Amino acid sequence: MRNSKPPLAVICTALCQARSVLSSIPYSYCQSRCARTLKIRSHVARGTTFRYTHLHRAPASLSTLHQPMEAKIFRWWAGRILRLCTRRSSGAAAPGSGATIFALSSGQGRCGIAVIRTSGPSSGHALRILTAARDLPPARHASLRLLSDPRSGEPLDRALVLWFPGPRSFTGEDCVEFHVHGGPAVVSGVLQALGSVPGLRPAEAGEFTRRAFANGKLNLTEVEGLADLIHAETEAQRRQALRQLDGELGHLCRGWAETLTKALAHVEAYIDFGEDDNLEEGVLEQADIEVRALEVALGAHLRDARRGQRLRSGAHVVVTGPPNAGKSSLVNLLSRKPVSIVSPEPGTTRDVLETPVDLAGFPVLLSDTAGLREGVGPVEQEGVRRARESCNFLATVVASVGAQSPSDSSQRLLLVLNKSDLLSPEGPGPRPDLPPHLLLSCLTGEGLDGLLEALRKELAAVCGDPSTGSPLLTRARHQHHLQGCLDALSHYKPSKDLALAAEALRVARGHLTRLTGGGGTEEILDIIFRDFCVGK
Amino acid sequence: MFYLRGCGRWVAASFTKQQFPLVRLSSDSAAPRTPHFDVIVIGGGHAGTEAATAAARCGSRTLLLTHRVDTIGQMSCNPSFGGIGKGHLMREVDALDGLCSRICDQSGVHYKVLNRRKGPAVWGLRAQIDRKLYKQNMQKEILNTPLLTVQEGAVEDLILTEPEPEHTGKCRVSGVVLVDGSTVYAESVILTTGTFLRGMIVIGLEMHPAGRLGDQPSIGLAQTLEKLGFVVGRLKTGTPPRIAKDSINFSILNKQTPDNPSVPFSFTNETVWIKPEDQLPCYLTYTNPRVDEIVLNNLHLNSHVKETTRGPRYCPSIESKVLRFPNRLHQVWLEPEGMDSDLIYPQGLSMTLPTELQEKMITCIRGLEKAKVIQPGYGVQYDYLDPRQITPSLETHLVQRLFFAGQINGTTGYEEAAAQGVIAGINASLRVSRKPPFVVSRTEGYIGVLIDDLTTLGTSEPYRMFTSRVEFRLSLRPDNADIRLTLRGYKDAGCVSQQRYEGACWMKSSLEEGISVLKSIEFSSSKWKNLIPEVSISTSRSLPVRALDVLKYEEVDMDSLAKAVPEPLKKYTKCRELAERLKIEATYESVLFHQLQEIKGVQQDEALQLPKDIDYLTIRDVSLSHEVREKLHFSRPQTIGAASRIPGVTPAAIINLLRFVKTTQQRQAAMNESPKTDQCLRNADRLQERQL
Repeated sequence: MRNSKPPLAVICTALCQARSVLSSIPYSYCQSRCARTLKIRSHVARGTTFRYTHLHRAPASLSTLHQPMEAKIFRWWAGRILRLCTRRSSGAAAPGSGATIFALSSGQGRCGIAVIRTSGPSSGHALRILTAARDLPPARHASLRLLSDPRSGEPLDRALVLWFPGPRSFTGEDCVEFHVHGGPAVVSGVLQALGSVPGLRPAEAGEFTRRAFANGKLNLTEVEGLADLIHAETEAQRRQALRQLDGELGHLCRGWAETLTKALAHVEAYIDFGEDDNLEEGVLEQADIEVRALEVALGAHLRDARRGQRLRSGAHVVVTGPPNAGKSSLVNLLSRKPVSIVSPEPGTTRDVLETPVDLAGFPVLLSDTAGLREGVGPVEQEGVRRARESCNFLATVVASVGAQSPSDSSQRLLLVLNKSDLLSPEGPGPRPDLPPHLLLSCLTGEGLDGLLEALRKELAAVCGDPSTGSPLLTRARHQHHLQGCLDALSHYKPSKDLALAAEALRVARGHLTRLTGGGGTEEILDIIFRDFCVGK
Repeated sequence: MFYLRGCGRWVAASFTKQQFPLVRLSSDSAAPRTPHFDVIVIGGGHAGTEAATAAARCGSRTLLLTHRVDTIGQMSCNPSFGGIGKGHLMREVDALDGLCSRICDQSGVHYKVLNRRKGPAVWGLRAQIDRKLYKQNMQKEILNTPLLTVQEGAVEDLILTEPEPEHTGKCRVSGVVLVDGSTVYAESVILTTGTFLRGMIVIGLEMHPAGRLGDQPSIGLAQTLEKLGFVVGRLKTGTPPRIAKDSINFSILNKQTPDNPSVPFSFTNETVWIKPEDQLPCYLTYTNPRVDEIVLNNLHLNSHVKETTRGPRYCPSIESKVLRFPNRLHQVWLEPEGMDSDLIYPQGLSMTLPTELQEKMITCIRGLEKAKVIQPGYGVQYDYLDPRQITPSLETHLVQRLFFAGQINGTTGYEEAAAQGVIAGINASLRVSRKPPFVVSRTEGYIGVLIDDLTTLGTSEPYRMFTSRVEFRLSLRPDNADIRLTLRGYKDAGCVSQQRYEGACWMKSSLEEGISVLKSIEFSSSKWKNLIPEVSISTSRSLPVRALDVLKYEEVDMDSLAKAVPEPLKKYTKCRELAERLKIEATYESVLFHQLQEIKGVQQDEALQLPKDIDYLTIRDVSLSHEVREKLHFSRPQTIGAASRIPGVTPAAIINLLRFVKTTQQRQAAMNESPKTDQCLRNADRLQERQL
């Protein structure tokens, strides 16, 4: 890619693109001169084909102009062609080169700096896209760049980036390192941005190592240590995947994968046996209906997932209870900043107030809610409704303040009795009629340690061990594959070349089975032979 | 030397060839001056004929041993070749200069391309073949192949000697013992015994030993193989009854006519030997509830269906169709057996009912009311050897220089057998001349998928090729088999004739040139619309459109494109095949682009060779679980790529294996200064060739 001459066909394409630039310049001596320089004037004028034998000299001859005015235009133009050439040759998905992979390379979980690494021919392309720059930074020099999401343009982080052109890199391929701030939102944002660059995909466990190995970049001791690491990584990923797949998303994914596999099996059956054996009528039509339905479902899910992104970037802890129990005080205490207004008046908090906090090492979205009571004004009533809703909606841990349990929901419930400072020291001990509870005084801070410890236990049960990574990081992977699946499905057009249509389904299924596991050919054959009477 | 088969015979090695001076153990002791060949092929079926001629093409003096010379090229089952997936295999066999495609072009009586409407990647070339003509043409070809000797004789035993130290395996085959006690020596031996290993024919409740109806099975050989420690399994297959042609009422049946023009199987043929109007039709009829009834009422008389021997998941016999999919009408194709044959082959009616019931069932089918059964359908049960015991070059792990090809490896079908035959023949010959094996990867051809599936995953049912088994289906098409394999076959194997090689080279460079020219021509979409009014291109796009993209539209072909842009495209329409192939390349261009990436990933893994002599069960410096060890031990994958496809081998295990490869490489590099660069170069070469 670097310095190597792009193939002729590539220059052709680049020049053709450049020609459209040329035609946008008003007709003048510039244009005619320009065209002559390219030795394709007549062809350009007539709009017919280029003689491609002339073309390889064109970019060179472009830069040989001397007259200042023209030179300026032409140099710009030559630059564009050359850039096009470079982009063509090093651009996304250059033929004959492996896919470009990316992954979070530093340890998962909370850390100050996170390192995200890419490897593969599209690395440079991805770096340019994320930094919105024309040129790559100098090789092997740390440079500060603003990373932004290529889809929305939204800034992600100000990060140190390092560009390692191959073969002098960790894997021997082109590599880029992004040193970003370690917050999960930033990391997830960058990963998702990378996933949206064509030609890039999340790395499989151990893939960097294997590439490094294949290119002779690892010595034995390194591989030895990495094997253990990869083992742990795969284990963690597996557990992570299992945990994620236990939930609603997993249920959805498995359902989708099943539908897709069946549709694919039927299309494959139609290809392999459609003419020799008698399949029932309407096999393709049925598959088509299923694929279209799946497309709609996936599309809806993805749109929904984007909207909910922020909300879900942590475990939800909702503080709820009767009015004036001290919920807002507790929230302020836990978040160590005045999130909610506190007053002795009942019903001060009317809306759901959310604040992201770090509780015992876990990313948590802490919600303060309106006190639950009936018979108040419409505004507060709405607040109460929202409070109840947030309990039912996403709450994973509910810390209830006060003496009464807010709802009979199945969420984890931590009952906290506030204002323990008002109890007389020699007063009644633990209340046997209440479920297990904690005593706390937001005023004195007494009981806070106990609450934090209890919260930590609850959160660990919900989030798992923080060292195995937050769900957030695997979400980038989910989104990448779901989007990939959806994109592939849009290419499914059974009315045309059926082999192409089946390929679209295969690609789509490949993305889904990355999430759910499985995905072999045998599954397809099992379905074919189960559903159809084929063979001879 | 090994003591074998308890018949008190010590078999001496014969080392007459100059190239093995180191292993001359018995040196000048009176080694019998028996016939000596480079390669012996046992069996004259579809695998055997391909293997023998491939070895001879590679320059080996080859002996084809068969029970009867007049059964060489016998089509024991259906009178047809090709189909979906199978047609792909035939094109690849042809690309390696194999026989079956060329013979089929001389012997067919009904040529038809299946899947015409589903895209060129899955076109299935297929033909009804005249059995007699096929056999005649095949025998003529075999008997006229230079370096190939044909001899009648049943092989009873293998001659085994000390193994070569630089290869794995506990012994080495150096010849065969015939039933009459005579011996023939050879450097490599290929077994293509089909269903003859302990073959057993089943009709109703009767069973008798036979490889094919009327032929003796090979029992001694089966015992030898078992004694050597090969894991043997049992499979079953079957064939339908044959019906007298004049007893069928064709007038009330659906007639299927052949294609016009006929598409030949071979790259070297422009047309087939027979005009479409002279070809024979096929007829279609259906079973009915009465057939179901007869099957269900007579299950007790049908031991083949009842037995526990593993049959395939697909439905090979009418019995299994009725049992698994009751209350349905099943297709029966009535296929001609040949130009002057009085027989009709009812495809879809494979059965093992007692003979009298077969006729009873057939006569309740529409059009067959008065049908006469000339030969009853029967089932065959036979031994196969677990194919995980062979390498991708089809040599066994256990016995050096012993190769297996065809049904013995658990496959079914003529084409699958032929494909393995070519590969076994080439490799047996390369082994003799001490060249590296010729392995077709999954990324290069259906042959590669077939052999990789067999050798890494094994099979528990007769393995049949389907296009759905092929990951890179859009890249591995019937049209480009020559580009994929002919060049390699010429350079790496030497099994391809100069003429064919030059043809493939010309085609490859013309295609490349054509594609780059098509890419360089660009007009606005409205201009295209003016030039080719029938194209359904959207004129709202402002970007210029390449001619290659215009060619993607179904309604555009090279002719209409050349009419619109005569200069420089006209010359590409002069060769019809080239024009058609350019159209196909255009159709798949965008997808092939992505597939090439994946292919490269797979090839990288396949370039990482695992040492052949590695003992997975005892090896200490690799940390592998016991389960993984056993799997690796049994399948003996040759590359990291193959290892990663074995179910249950984890990514961590793969990394550990990589480490092991690295150690071995370093050790080797230390020993000789020129480590594996050749291998790398070869792989790089192969990659280059594939980048069309």
